[in-house]
Amino acid sequence: MAAKRTAPRALLVFVVVAIAVPLILLVTQADGGHRAAVAAPPELAVYAERAPHVLSQLNAYGVQGVVRGAPSTPPSALPPLSPDRFNVPEAEYRAFAGSQLGLMEGQITDLEGALAAGDRAAAQDAWRGAYSRYLELGAVYLEGQIATLNQAIDGNPGGLPGGIRSPQFTGLHRIELGLWTGGPLSSLLPYAHKLAADVRELRRVLPSVQISPLDYATRAHEILEDAVRDLLSGTDVPWSGEGVLGTEDGILATKEVLLTLKPLLFKRENVLPVANAQLATLEGVMERLKAAHGGRLPTNGELTQEQAELLDNAMGGALEALAQVPGALETAYTPVIPRIPRSAVRIDQP
Amino acid sequence: MSPVDRRSFLTRSAALLGAGGAGALVGGAGVADRALAANPTDDPGTGAGAAVAASNLATVEPFEGVHQAGILTPAPAHATFVVFDSFAPDRGTLAAALQALSRRAHELTAGGPVPLLEVDAPPPDSGILGPDNAPDALTVTIAFGASLFDSRYGLGGHRPLELTQMPTFSVDELVPAQSHGDVLVQICAQHRDTVVHTLRELVRTVRGTLQQRWTIDGFMGASRGPTQRSNPRNLFAFRDGTANPDPTDAALMRKLVWAGANEPAWAAGGTYQVVRIIRQHVEFWDRVGLLEQEKMIGRYRNTGAPLGGTNEFEEPRYDLDPHGYRIPLTAHIRLANPRTAATAGERILRRGFNYHRGFDEAGQLDQGLVFVAYNQSPARQFATIQNRLNNEPMIDYITPVGGGYFFAPAGARSSVDWVGSELFASV
Repeated sequence: MAAKRTAPRALLVFVVVAIAVPLILLVTQADGGHRAAVAAPPELAVYAERAPHVLSQLNAYGVQGVVRGAPSTPPSALPPLSPDRFNVPEAEYRAFAGSQLGLMEGQITDLEGALAAGDRAAAQDAWRGAYSRYLELGAVYLEGQIATLNQAIDGNPGGLPGGIRSPQFTGLHRIELGLWTGGPLSSLLPYAHKLAADVRELRRVLPSVQISPLDYATRAHEILEDAVRDLLSGTDVPWSGEGVLGTEDGILATKEVLLTLKPLLFKRENVLPVANAQLATLEGVMERLKAAHGGRLPTNGELTQEQAELLDNAMGGALEALAQVPGALETAYTPVIPRIPRSAVRIDQP
Repeated sequence: MSPVDRRSFLTRSAALLGAGGAGALVGGAGVADRALAANPTDDPGTGAGAAVAASNLATVEPFEGVHQAGILTPAPAHATFVVFDSFAPDRGTLAAALQALSRRAHELTAGGPVPLLEVDAPPPDSGILGPDNAPDALTVTIAFGASLFDSRYGLGGHRPLELTQMPTFSVDELVPAQSHGDVLVQICAQHRDTVVHTLRELVRTVRGTLQQRWTIDGFMGASRGPTQRSNPRNLFAFRDGTANPDPTDAALMRKLVWAGANEPAWAAGGTYQVVRIIRQHVEFWDRVGLLEQEKMIGRYRNTGAPLGGTNEFEEPRYDLDPHGYRIPLTAHIRLANPRTAATAGERILRRGFNYHRGFDEAGQLDQGLVFVAYNQSPARQFATIQNRLNNEPMIDYITPVGGGYFFAPAGARSSVDWVGSELFASV
């Protein structure tokens, strides 16, 4: 890589605006900017490993600064994959998801038993188990019929008229509400029975669920995007606060997705090793949290400020790495958007 | 010092600010005012008057008018929305509080010197803008929520026909503590300190009668071109407001914004105001490919042109793209405004602001849009559009967390009239 210090002014302007000053010289030295660099400049190698998305940002700015008016996204150098290649990974994931649903049915049976016996602690344990298994289905794309079943199993009261009093509010979170706010346990039994039936139905239709390659590749980061948005924020688990537990299940599901995609990601932009390294860091954080809380994961509210920062930081690193996965697994060249014919152009006048 | 002496300091005219520029204001500053006299920079070149002229602080948006200011008024850089619940014991007290609110809003929007009373009494104005309250294009827009028309004040029979509590849409995760409420006050100005000062003064005006329930601050993207007409961006980086109906088209505003003839007589000249706090999950958005972002919106991020076009204000020509090869059928702009003859009457006047308010519990930026829409009929317009948008692909990246339906009555007709007077006169 040529070490040039004569980077055009425009490059410097772009970079100065975007990035911390100490990085500027390293970047401009490392790459003259005439093409997208594929490896980190030696001085940045350690940081690139830790934060791969930053490296790609630096490179993009390097390209843009020199070639004014060039497309804002450098074209991907990778040839598209055949969509058929997703068949095996998706079949493997469906099998994994089916086995999780089987385990979930067992947990719901335990839940029903604990509710009938009036044992709140045991019921909460069984609920955690059932909820965890469900979150491990993270990559099943929730559309159509599945979306309706998902609403019944895992739906939140937020979007329902009447909120928690809506008759459509029946699933895991209705039971969560009762278990953590002191309602009579026997009143929750009908919800547990309905949950069991809905899960059985989902398990029946699961083998026929189709996921597009793009959707499946996207789930590689969306499972943990959901965890940040819905679980660690507390939005989806307002009563139990079990967002950290749910996040651990999201990590598990994400690892399963990456495992199935391993053959496809081989030699695709070094995405997989980087993502795996970030996930390993995140798992290490989970272990530290468990160690600090007597062997179990803390609830959101039990995280100290330092622990919350530690977890959020590791999540951010993992997500930036995982967000590179879909781009590395394109099944088509970027489609060209048709132009509005010149003769058809009409401008709205103010 | 006697009260009379004190009050003699008030001789500087409020009109000086509006009429003036530097010269007029500096003339005013020559009056014996302790603060200004003690100011070592009080000279014609660098004094407050020059600052006022240079930063358009002298711009006045009149509070009085057929319609309230802050609706058709071009949105300035800063806004605060505050919603109050009423604890007035009876209708007369409520009316008095609203009257005081309008009176104070009138004074603040007009600008002028801060009155001084006894030195041993708390000052009547917090004074955080100095001895002169520059108008700064300030607007204060007052609106009523459905709950104000409940059984407390006997207003039920006078409720605007469509004023209900905002329904819960399927995308919503409304937090009660930042939703609904009795009285909405929208404060807009060119500078943040003007807005903050106005909030502080108005909250003081109604203290003990109206209690603040929720609030949110908004800001507008700066005008960054390429043309004067180019719209600023929201926090998804897309230009926002491109297809807004033209607020200077009075006939169009009568069709789309101002209350219809079927409404109670007092509601004439008013409009339904929809406010929605829409959280945007910006970290997630920033990890999505540009092409996917553009397909979700239906426009290019850079230019704001509809996909396939080159000009922000170009028609998207859905008629030539019935299958969505160019602009997907689920794209935001296509669902929001299909641009058919049948949907022309659904259009709303948007006047939203971006917000940023720190981090959430998961360390994620709490940023988004204070969506504001004025419309003649929420059922025909806003709710119809929102129901089309409930399944758009963009919903993964947003969460509506608060807001409400309000009705902004006609403007005050004179400096002694007040917003809502006709409602209370009709009871």
